[in-house]
Amino acid sequence: MLYHRLFAACLLLACVGLGLTAWGYHAPYSYEPVGPRAYPLMLLILLGAGALLLVFKPGLETGDEPEPRIVPTMLRKTLICLALLLALAALFERVGFIVTATLFGLGMARLFGGRWLPSAILAVVLGIGLYFLFDRILDVPLPMGVLAVLEN
Amino acid sequence: MDTLQYLGQGFGVALSPNNLITALAGTTIGTIVGLLPGLGPINGVALLIPVAFALGLPPETALILLAAVYLGCEYGGRISSILLNIPGEASAVMTTLDGYPLARQGKGGIALSISAWSSFIGGMIATVGVVLFAPLLAGWAVSFGPAEYFMLMVFAIVCLAGMAGDKPVKTAVAVLIGLMLSCVGIDANSGVYRFTFGTLGLSDGIQFVVLVLGLFSISEILMLLERTHHGQTAVKASGRMLFNLKEGTSVFATNIRSGLLGFIFGILPGAGATLASAVAYMSEKRIAGASGRFGEGDLRGLAAPETANSASACGSMVPMLTLGIPGSGTTAVMLGALTLYNITPGPLLFQNQPEIVWGLIASLFVANVILIIMNIPMINLFTRILSVPNWTLVPAIAIITSIGVYAVHATTFDLFLMIAIGVFGYILRKLDFPLSALLLGFILGGMMESNLRRALSISDGNLGILWSSPITLGLWVVVAFMVALPFWRAYRARRAVPLTDA
Repeated sequence: MLYHRLFAACLLLACVGLGLTAWGYHAPYSYEPVGPRAYPLMLLILLGAGALLLVFKPGLETGDEPEPRIVPTMLRKTLICLALLLALAALFERVGFIVTATLFGLGMARLFGGRWLPSAILAVVLGIGLYFLFDRILDVPLPMGVLAVLEN
Repeated sequence: MDTLQYLGQGFGVALSPNNLITALAGTTIGTIVGLLPGLGPINGVALLIPVAFALGLPPETALILLAAVYLGCEYGGRISSILLNIPGEASAVMTTLDGYPLARQGKGGIALSISAWSSFIGGMIATVGVVLFAPLLAGWAVSFGPAEYFMLMVFAIVCLAGMAGDKPVKTAVAVLIGLMLSCVGIDANSGVYRFTFGTLGLSDGIQFVVLVLGLFSISEILMLLERTHHGQTAVKASGRMLFNLKEGTSVFATNIRSGLLGFIFGILPGAGATLASAVAYMSEKRIAGASGRFGEGDLRGLAAPETANSASACGSMVPMLTLGIPGSGTTAVMLGALTLYNITPGPLLFQNQPEIVWGLIASLFVANVILIIMNIPMINLFTRILSVPNWTLVPAIAIITSIGVYAVHATTFDLFLMIAIGVFGYILRKLDFPLSALLLGFILGGMMESNLRRALSISDGNLGILWSSPITLGLWVVVAFMVALPFWRAYRARRAVPLTDA
């Protein structure tokens, strides 16, 4: 029940922090009896009560079932997946969609067990194909980034 | 008479060539998404919202697309349940109980065709129910004031926490997190920035698409990482591909009963297809008694959850269209899509934009017919899709998700926010918090606050307005009952334990 308790404790802390933030919300002038802080404070009190209950009784709804163990290889894979997603977000505009999506596609395909060559082919198809589908056909503007020179 | 006239106009909208093609595309995509293990209707509908926008579809066509995807997913979910014993989503769990044993007995074809037929009957019963009851409910709901609406939303939330699951505290916590997330951004009444922490990207609030794709797409990718597979080995859909008359009639009564049950569960806010399929299965098992071979490949055990599933999906359109309250996680996503189009679902929608409402209702009939026609002859093709390996699927989903999120504001801030929400959603899933409850809270949050504040403005701050009318009082009684229900269940369980021990 360690993870449940840890999560509930974090939630409780967040409720306290957000509650302190919400306490400071004042409307300079208002035409209604309820200001901007009453509703979020009400929610935070209820949420805090729920979190408190789970801190003290983490097994309330799960019984005594053992929590799944954190497997090191799984953790490593999860972290790589997150790193790939963050890299996609960070490079999306700077490097451009096609290059970023291709590199990301290759990384993800490999992470999910694809062999090098098929993964590389898939990544290129996804990078270029989805760019043409969304940018050119569906009119969703996607950044060209470093490949912008090719447009001129 | 008016209803039939409106329905006729709805068919005019749904059968226009563009909308017909849209429904065909939606049902196909939905079936494929539904049959892929791990992906459900929420993922399918959420992924298609940005595409619908990008295509510049008019609102009625976009809704038809999303509804077709929703129904398609409900049909598709049964294929992986029957042939792989892997339910694509929670509502398909009951289908595996008898579907997989049937497939292993070499009756895969019969199981697939009878489940498609059951889905069709369920969908049709519920769509007729929508035609009969939605206008009535909408007419009644016109008289609702802000206090009644606020109480209705409290009812929807309590319904979800008290009835739908065995985890009322976790469900309530998830709903409250969703309600809190809806507070982020500028307060519409006072102009105060709430929980933005000086970030420009949050001043507009958390975008619906960012939340949905983060919660359901990114967290799903992380979950899929744990069960990576190189294509599944499905039991072959062998033998006869079509059920015979005797088999059809043996499940007919089950179809009717489960269809009605599914529709009722669909209407209840938050109850959804999972509960509908479980209750339908259990009640059919009880009715069959000793004559049943439930769990070993009884056709009734397959027909009941499939009929209820499909009926519940169509039934959940009733509260969405008439009250603006989603009946399921997927209709919550559809509701969000409607608001993106600046359409406010609710009773006035029937008066102000009948072409949207009736076009959608008629499209449910059309989508059901397309699905039954498509599902029986194309079953072999769909079965083959089951072997798509995750290494091809996941990168495509991740990139399309990113495009969908980037398209909202053309800013990478939303991409980072989506990843953060995805990680949070992943943790919640690992700890068994229901994500659809969080989504329901987020969808209802804005409406709930504005109705509460409007009601209190009318009464000049007097809380008595929340129990001043017969409707609000009635809702309080039901809410009290729903809150008491889990406690009563726990009390009964505690009492039952010593008895069995003795």
